Amino acid sequence: MAQHKVNFSENGGLPVALTTVDKLVNWGRSNSLWALTYGLACCGIEMMATGASRYDFDRFGTIFRASPRQAEVMVVAGTLTKKHAEFIRRLYDQMAEPKWVISMGSCANTGGMFNTYATVQGADRVIPVDLYLPGCAPRPETLQYALMMLQKKIRSEKAGKAQRPKRLV
Amino acid sequence: MQHTNRLEPFFENLEFERDDNHMIINFGPQHPSSHGQLRLIMELDGEEVVKAVPDIGYLHRGMEKMGENMIYNEFLPTTDRMDYIASSSNNYAFALSVEKLLDIEVPRRAQVIRTIMLELNRLASHLFWLATHALDVGAMSVFLYCFREREYILDLIEDYCGARLTHSAIRIGGVPLDIPDGWMGSLLKLMKKLPTDIADYEGLLDQNRIWKMRLEDVGVVSKEMARSWGTSGIMLRGSGIQYDIRKEEPYELYDELDFDIPVSETGDSYGRYKLYMEEMRQSIRIIEQLVPMYDETDRALMADAPQYISAPKEQIMTQNYSLMQHFVLVTQGMRPPVGEAYVPTESPKGELAFYLNSQGEPYPYRMKIRAPSFFHTGILQDLLPGHYLADVVTIIGTTNIVFGEVDR
Amino acid sequence: MMREYKNKENVQKKSYYTDRYWVAPRVPTFDPATDEEFNSVVASLKGKFSINEAYIQLKHLVIYINPEDNKAVLQYLHEELGYGRLMEMSAIDWLAKSGEFEIFYEMLNVDKAKRIRVKCYIKEDQAIESVQDIFRLANFAEREMFDMFGVKVNNHPFMKRILMPDDWQGYPLRKTYPLQGDEAASWYEVDKIFGKEARDIIGPEIRDSAMIDRYDSERFARLGHEVAFGSDVSEVKTDQGYQEDGGVFLVRKLHKDDTKTITDRDR
Repeated sequence: MAQHKVNFSENGGLPVALTTVDKLVNWGRSNSLWALTYGLACCGIEMMATGASRYDFDRFGTIFRASPRQAEVMVVAGTLTKKHAEFIRRLYDQMAEPKWVISMGSCANTGGMFNTYATVQGADRVIPVDLYLPGCAPRPETLQYALMMLQKKIRSEKAGKAQRPKRLV
Repeated sequence: MQHTNRLEPFFENLEFERDDNHMIINFGPQHPSSHGQLRLIMELDGEEVVKAVPDIGYLHRGMEKMGENMIYNEFLPTTDRMDYIASSSNNYAFALSVEKLLDIEVPRRAQVIRTIMLELNRLASHLFWLATHALDVGAMSVFLYCFREREYILDLIEDYCGARLTHSAIRIGGVPLDIPDGWMGSLLKLMKKLPTDIADYEGLLDQNRIWKMRLEDVGVVSKEMARSWGTSGIMLRGSGIQYDIRKEEPYELYDELDFDIPVSETGDSYGRYKLYMEEMRQSIRIIEQLVPMYDETDRALMADAPQYISAPKEQIMTQNYSLMQHFVLVTQGMRPPVGEAYVPTESPKGELAFYLNSQGEPYPYRMKIRAPSFFHTGILQDLLPGHYLADVVTIIGTTNIVFGEVDR
Repeated sequence: MMREYKNKENVQKKSYYTDRYWVAPRVPTFDPATDEEFNSVVASLKGKFSINEAYIQLKHLVIYINPEDNKAVLQYLHEELGYGRLMEMSAIDWLAKSGEFEIFYEMLNVDKAKRIRVKCYIKEDQAIESVQDIFRLANFAEREMFDMFGVKVNNHPFMKRILMPDDWQGYPLRKTYPLQGDEAASWYEVDKIFGKEARDIIGPEIRDSAMIDRYDSERFARLGHEVAFGSDVSEVKTDQGYQEDGGVFLVRKLHKDDTKTITDRDR
């Protein structure tokens, strides 16, 4: 993980008071999170398994969309290499607000077992990440849980103004 | 304050450079049909591909260098992540290379368990291939059906070794775990169920007009191209050459088992699809022969070579010298003899082999991983020109490439 | 005071314990005469090329040739002797020992199921001839050899880096290259995307897998039982639920009591 100075006490840390409009918009957003297919390595297979018959993604309203312009959640599943880092930043910039990032698996969290010259030590060196999933590879149930946590998080945010950038990256 | 980055938008993806109106298109590293991180830069004349250049390396994690810095046992979980769909076959190829260097003999029960794991991995890998290939070509329901069957196989594997995807179930010298109770019964039930499902998929796809039109005469690999590119596995047998390492250079129990090697003369994607289905049937046949063999074996699971392999856990916990030796082997690592080993195995993707050059140190001096998918990606340069853009996806699917292996 | 001299010729991990008097055993090698197929191969090769050494090891015939002959030998093996498939080729770094690379080619004869390994030694700046006209596999394999070791190959149609990015500095698989990458490697993605100014903002990579942050116990103590920041820990009861307590409009709430555990796998 990157060394950022994160200010946890901003906004008092307390949940924000939400209006009905906020709640309605958040309800809509959380129940139709369209995911960008970003399976890079082994975790990508578990992501596909989460979308397949047994652990279905579609019941949460999540569909895999290939184009970043249409997606809201980017699930970085797999090892991010230095050759690829430029492209993940481009794709992240092409996604429209509001957008969230789930970092799935050890390789995306911190570089994982690949402590080598060609691996980026964590996707959060190049894009800001909202949720980190541990595991190598995390089970499909972990990804489902992460999606539901993300839905919970979205429902507690203020919908109106543009997303407050979490970090400098 | 979003920190601005240096990346500028580039529109080089679509270029109309010359007067003959060829379009250069980038089939990027992130693409739902590229089976991982393949970047193809293609020059199109209308819809027909004139030139294609595959650009790989987006998943290069430096495994060969890691191998030079880790002891042999420590490197084994890394091999899991190469061909991540059939992890045990990578573990096995590595373990086999090291065992040939050490010249140790694996006990019979471990051989039976290893062969069962290898064939289960082959089944899971072929099911995954069918799922993604059908999804790319357009038959989306086959994806869901195949994943359902694959989940049953992964359940069994998880029961045995604890992990669905990255097994590390096969170690140097044997297997660490014995089969739990009731596992063989579940395995046999699954083997009885699977042929009906494979027949279902064939019923959906075999005589399907759209499937046939999209797959026949697409991606024809001639015998000369197969020879020159060093293709192996089903890419080779699809061109009419009967060569399966399980029969020609047998390892484990394959010389005692009775199975056939299907070969297709046409060399196109449809022929290869038929081969995959037939190989799945042969794998089921092999597993059904192995299950009764298990009961006739002794309980030993790891090889008896105290200089290189640790003793079983019961001995380590009770005998002092076993504990000391285990400590030394885990912290320092075993020192194999000086020499080289290259032992080919038939993984679901083709010929997988590890070239190990040992200088007597606990760390290998050079480890080269011969991954079949690396060369099957190269063959795309020669296969794609002449086909239409829609066939590109079919051809990438039929070569069965996994990027963990291509880039290592 | 002077810093300790660290030999930079081989920065890979070395065993921390060495026994001066221990002689490593060798994998047994056999004379080619023991196998009649290999014997005939060696005999016909000796007639045309200079073979420095030949032996059988682990069912492979290993032949050492001169690097100038590599294409001719491989062509002869393909056309005359039936070893028509090149399965693998790469280099081994012996720069510390003798300033040479050892190139090896793995050949397979499909009809007889026999394998041969052809090896040669080249100096660091010496170039070898590409064999990609006979075996197209060398197209990719030689590019990888160049990318990883810096071995020069002549007459290759597309000699560019294949696994590393095009503007990468250094040859990763050499023994002088550290596993975790040198200075240029560790800042590669930051420089590429954000520029050199962002190096301080993003910070160096954390390569120490045993690092423990001082905030770890504080921030991860209540894992699974998190409470909102600023609230009194003893009073708040956390239910690790998938949804908020009140449920979400139109979405069915999962109650733990409504679930059923399925134990029979073969249902």
